[in-house]
Formats: sequence, C-alpha cells, structure tokens
Amino acid sequence: MPPRLSLGAHRAVSRAQTVRARLYVRRFASGSAASPETYDVVCVGGGPAGLSLLTGLRASKITSSLKVALVEGQDLQKNRLPHDASLDTFSNRCSSLTPASVKNLQDIGAWSHANTARIQPYQEMQVWDGISDARISFDWDSIHTPLTLRKPTQPTTIAYMIENVNTTTTLLSRLSELGGVDIFSPTKVESINLGTDTPSLDLSSWPILTLSNGKTLAARLLVGADGANSPVRTFAGIHSRGFDYNRHGIVATVRLGGPGRGGPNHKIAYQRFLPTGPIAMLPLPGNLASLVWSITPQLAARLKSLSPNDFSAMVNAGFRLSATDLDYLHTLEAGQAEEVAWREKHTPVDERSIPMKVVDVQEGTTASFPLKMRHADTYIGERVALVGDAAHTIHPLAGQGLNQGQGDAASLTRVIERAVQTGQDIGSLLALEAYNAERYAENNAMLGVCDKLHRLYSVESGPLVGLRSLGLRAVDAMGPLKGFFMGRAAGGV
Amino acid sequence: MAPPARLSNSIFGIFRATSFRPALLRKCRLYHSYEYSQPPPFSATASAILASAITHVPSYGFTSTALKLGAGDAGYLDVSTNLLPRGVFDLVNYHLIMQRLALKDNVQFPSASEQGTAKKLGIGAKVRTLTLARLRANEPIIHRWQEALAIMAQPSYVPTSLAELARLADEIWFLAGDTSVDTSWYTKRASLSAIYSATEIFMTQDTSKDFTETEQFLDARLEDVTRIGGFLGALGEWVDYTGHSAVNVLRSKGVRI
Repeated sequence: MPPRLSLGAHRAVSRAQTVRARLYVRRFASGSAASPETYDVVCVGGGPAGLSLLTGLRASKITSSLKVALVEGQDLQKNRLPHDASLDTFSNRCSSLTPASVKNLQDIGAWSHANTARIQPYQEMQVWDGISDARISFDWDSIHTPLTLRKPTQPTTIAYMIENVNTTTTLLSRLSELGGVDIFSPTKVESINLGTDTPSLDLSSWPILTLSNGKTLAARLLVGADGANSPVRTFAGIHSRGFDYNRHGIVATVRLGGPGRGGPNHKIAYQRFLPTGPIAMLPLPGNLASLVWSITPQLAARLKSLSPNDFSAMVNAGFRLSATDLDYLHTLEAGQAEEVAWREKHTPVDERSIPMKVVDVQEGTTASFPLKMRHADTYIGERVALVGDAAHTIHPLAGQGLNQGQGDAASLTRVIERAVQTGQDIGSLLALEAYNAERYAENNAMLGVCDKLHRLYSVESGPLVGLRSLGLRAVDAMGPLKGFFMGRAAGGV
Repeated sequence: MAPPARLSNSIFGIFRATSFRPALLRKCRLYHSYEYSQPPPFSATASAILASAITHVPSYGFTSTALKLGAGDAGYLDVSTNLLPRGVFDLVNYHLIMQRLALKDNVQFPSASEQGTAKKLGIGAKVRTLTLARLRANEPIIHRWQEALAIMAQPSYVPTSLAELARLADEIWFLAGDTSVDTSWYTKRASLSAIYSATEIFMTQDTSKDFTETEQFLDARLEDVTRIGGFLGALGEWVDYTGHSAVNVLRSKGVRI
C-alpha cells in the first residue's frame, strides 16, 4: 500500500523538490512526540555488508539524497582499527576479498581508505586431497595456453587477505568522509513493528523500529544486515533453511618460519581437505598467516586447549601427516610436539608444495565457531531487504561469505538507484524484485558448491576418493576449465 | 495403547489355535489391553507336557525323545504327544512364546520416580537390555539351538516362526516404552527383527566366556542401525533443503509458484 505522503517518489526529478518534501515530513515528525522519525533506508547491522550498502548509497549521485540511518548494537568507533596498529599482531577474523569485491570497494571510493600495509594479496593457491594427495594449483600465470593468450587486463592476484576490522574501518572512514548518515551506535533494536494509519500519515506498511535509546524510526526500506540470527528477517517472517555441519572452524593467527615459498611478493594460500574438514593457511603480511581449520566440535575443543607449542605442531601435522596419523594425534592429551617431530621424520613430503612450518601462535587468537549453512527463502519482503549473513550463511571452505555480502550490497545499491531514477517507491516489492532475481540464484549456486565440496571430501575411503582425485587432476590439467573456475571464484572477473 | 501399536496375538495365533485350543480363540482380543490379562497361550495339558519336555532339551535336543520324556515326567502316556500335531516344532514354539512372555518379568526398568536423579535410561539402551536378556534366555539350550533353527526353517513352519519373531520385536519395543505412531513403527520392528535373528545365529557359534562376543556383535549391529538412521535423516534434511531452494530460485526469477 503506498503511503499517502508522496515522499521521495519524485526524488530524482529535482533537488529542490526533494528538500521540500523532506521539510514537509520533518514538520510532521516534530509536531507529535509519538510519530517516528522517517527515513528512506534504515540499515540494521554495521558489518561489512551493511556498511558497504550505505557507502554505496551515499557515494552514488542518484541515491545520495536519500535519508539513511544505521543502527548497530556495538560501538563502531571503539572497534575501529587504529592507524598505527602494529604489523606484528593481526586479528584472527580475516577474510579473503575477491577482485570483484575490491573493484566494488574502489567504485564506491572506499578502497583508498584501506590500511594497505595490513592487506595481503596472494597470487597462488594450492589445494589438495588429504587422502589421495591429488592436487590442484591455481595461479593466473599457469592457466593461459598458446591458444588462450593472457589478456593484459587479467589480474595476477587471486584474492586479498584482509582483517574484517580493516574492512569495516575502511568503509567507516569513507562513510564519515561522505557524511549524511545518522549512525545510532551502540544502540540496539528493541522491537520492530508495523506502523499505524494516522490522519496525517499512513505508516501501516512501514516497519517502525524502536531503539534502545528511546527513539523510533520509520523505514521506507528496512535493510537487514544483522547477521545469521537476523531480527529483521524474523520481523519479515522469512524462513531460513539449511543444516548444521557438526563441525567447528578453528581460527588463529600463526607465525611461520619465513615469508613463504614464493617470497614476500608471491604469496601462496594452501588448503588441504582432510576427512574431518578442510585446513587452510592464508598468507598475511610478513611471516604471519591466518589459519582456518574445520573439525568436529570435540576435537576443536581439545585443539584449543593445547599449549601453543603443541598447537603449532598439530597445525604442521595437519598439512603434512596422513589422516591416520592425525586420528591418533587427536587422541593425545598433550605432548603432540614430540610425537609430530618423530612422525614427520618418517613421512616424506614435498616441502615446496606445503606451507612453511608454523613456529608460534599469536596469543589469544585461537577461537572456534560452529559451521552451518543457511539460506533465507527470499531476500525481500514488503519494505524489507536482507543482505549478507542475514540472507545466507556459507561453509567457509571457499572464503566466499564476505564476498557474497559485498555482492549483495552492490546489487541492492544498483536496484535502489534504478528505483529512484524511475520514480518508484524504493520499499515496494516491485522495485526490490530485481535484487532478489539478481542475487538469489547466484548465491544459491555458491552455497551449493561449497556444501557439495564439504560432503565430497568428508568421505574417507572407497571409490569416491579415486573419482574425486581423478576429477581434481583432470581440472588441474585443463587450463581453460581451471580458468573458468578461477574466474567464478574471483567473482566473475 | 492404540490398536496398531501391538501386533495382535490372534492374527498369527490362528496357526496354533486351530490345532489344540479352539476354545481360546474366542477369548483372544485383537488389541492389547492393560485391563485384561491375556489368556495363557497353551492349554493346561499341553503346557505341562511341554514344560517338562523343555528340561530334557539340553541332553536330548529338540527331538521327539525329549517330548516323550516330558510327557512321561508330567504323568502322561507317550501317545499323548499326539496332542501336539506339529511335534517338535511345538516344542520350539513353546520355548519362543514362553521366553517372549517371560521378558516383561525378567527385565524391570525403574520408573521415572524411582530413578530420581540418576541418568535416565534411553529407549535405545532399554532395547539393548531387553534384546540381550532375550538372547541370554537361550543360554541353557544354546548348544541345541541350531537344531531348533533348522526346524523353524522348514517351509511349513516358516510363517509361524517369522510371526513369532515379529511379535518378539514388537514386545521389545513395547517394553522399552516406544510410542511411535509413524512409519518408524515398522522400520524399528523390521530392523530389530533382523538384528535379533543375526545375533541369535552368531550366538550359536559363540565360544567366548559369558557370551561377551555376542554382546559386542549386538552392539555393533545396533550402532550400524543408528548410523544408517542418521544418514537417512541427513539425506531427508538435504532433500528437503534442495527442494525448497529449487522453488526459491524459480520464485526469485519471477516464476509464480
């Protein structure tokens, strides 16, 4: 139902009209204490996806006249990355940004605000099967053949390792440069309800947010960027389906024996698929690396309780020893370091194809989180749109979670731009449908691929191991096919 | 208890009842009742002969000799074994039925109030205990049990034997307190029947002390079932998800479903 007040409907027509319309609303809002403050876009959640959306809206000339607000439960200013942060310590919450996500950040003018010293691009990726040792290596140099000449525009970087706090700080810096966003932080959303139909203003289809500071906001479009347990999704009555993997992801920042096999200018990411789940070592600046090890909850609890020395030994074992050796090592209470040292002597490995040895674990960075897969039935509702983890939660084995959120934000920005340009109500289902059509199938495919990879590599023995190894080697040998997969993983470059 | 929750005694009992206790047939109920006790499965005379005959099985096996000696012990003539038209199979059947009925007296689970703070026994653990108790009831005659299995495998006795196996599985699930009323009612009984018969055959060849290997065998089979059940459950969950996501993708593309 369209609101009686034609606010924003002709926003793009002229600047003057916009201003008049807004003044008109303001007068109403201040006239009665009970009526909420009206916004065009209210974003709940100040994570990378929500911030990227707001920055995109503010950066675009078309949507910059929209009145936008951000509600975040945590203190955004306090959680910012300091400019002079030491390069010796890194947060354990890192993500790999694909070139497509970086391009999006460049487009909205945020990338130049990033703390580049703390970002590590990597140029090569080694992935192998923990049972059969079948291996596939990804680097843009290896995939061009005499027939498919390397395009000059082709990137050499597979992805950029970046701390999540760096991403949010980058976006916040750009956002404060642009200005014009009412940020409520730290403020929690107490409740979300539909508004009422008053003689002056019909808000019966508008979500009204009651904040913990007592304010009420009415949203023409309410964006849920509020994580996996999204209250906005609950308000919209959108069901989220999926399953728990009965796995925990252990994360830690580790120090390696050196900058990596390719030196500081050619960094390599490693991932080994073990029957319990993949173990990945992703490069950070200097000798540091970010570890993600998905494993059963019981083993995760034990690994976290180990001394730094034993934990490092277990990580080294995770990339070097056989699954049988690992099974045994997981049963030990302590003393893994000696056990691993002894076993390594008797396990021949090609040192060039595995990460350098972990020498230390950065204190206090070992943590774990449960792995699950969730997908909302739809991303849109009347005056509601979901982005990022509120819409989908993915297995981290391909490092696509944050990138999907960035893709959502970019897509929703475009859809809102189009709606403003064509004079539509930006909260209407009609305007938002394009966003769901653009993102749903794509995210669903990515979720499906990661889910199937997880299932395929959970198998310890039998003909499936032979088949998947054959498949992996075949893809490795076929340059163009590999190039296609790399292109998809890079976000359609 | 709802009518389908227990296998009726009388449906399969016809095989037996037509032989020597037509009078009992009329008293049989098609459902289980807590109010009325079931009539005894055998007539007093047959009961007396078979009960004494069973005591001779360890030495003479499931043979007509055991039956004759039993009749003698009970004070009947040898010829009175003609009361049992199926001969030795009736002896086997008697053992099966009596042990099944004895199960509820042999195994007592503490009620919720008696247990107090102690860890509550799950249905799975109860099923294991009951199955094990039933297997242990075969202990005195286990060296003769292969003969019994051979008799039960004779074509004309197979239906009765299978029916008795089904009733045993039903009895165990019932005593364990299973109240399922969905399709798992059937799968539970079918899987337990398969496990029980396999374990029984394993037990006839088990030479370990106190049948510890049989116990391990049973545990391994029960674990298999849990694993398959878990796999099927996960498969169902996955199929459900995939179905919904296919519909959702079509909806996102504007198909009105």
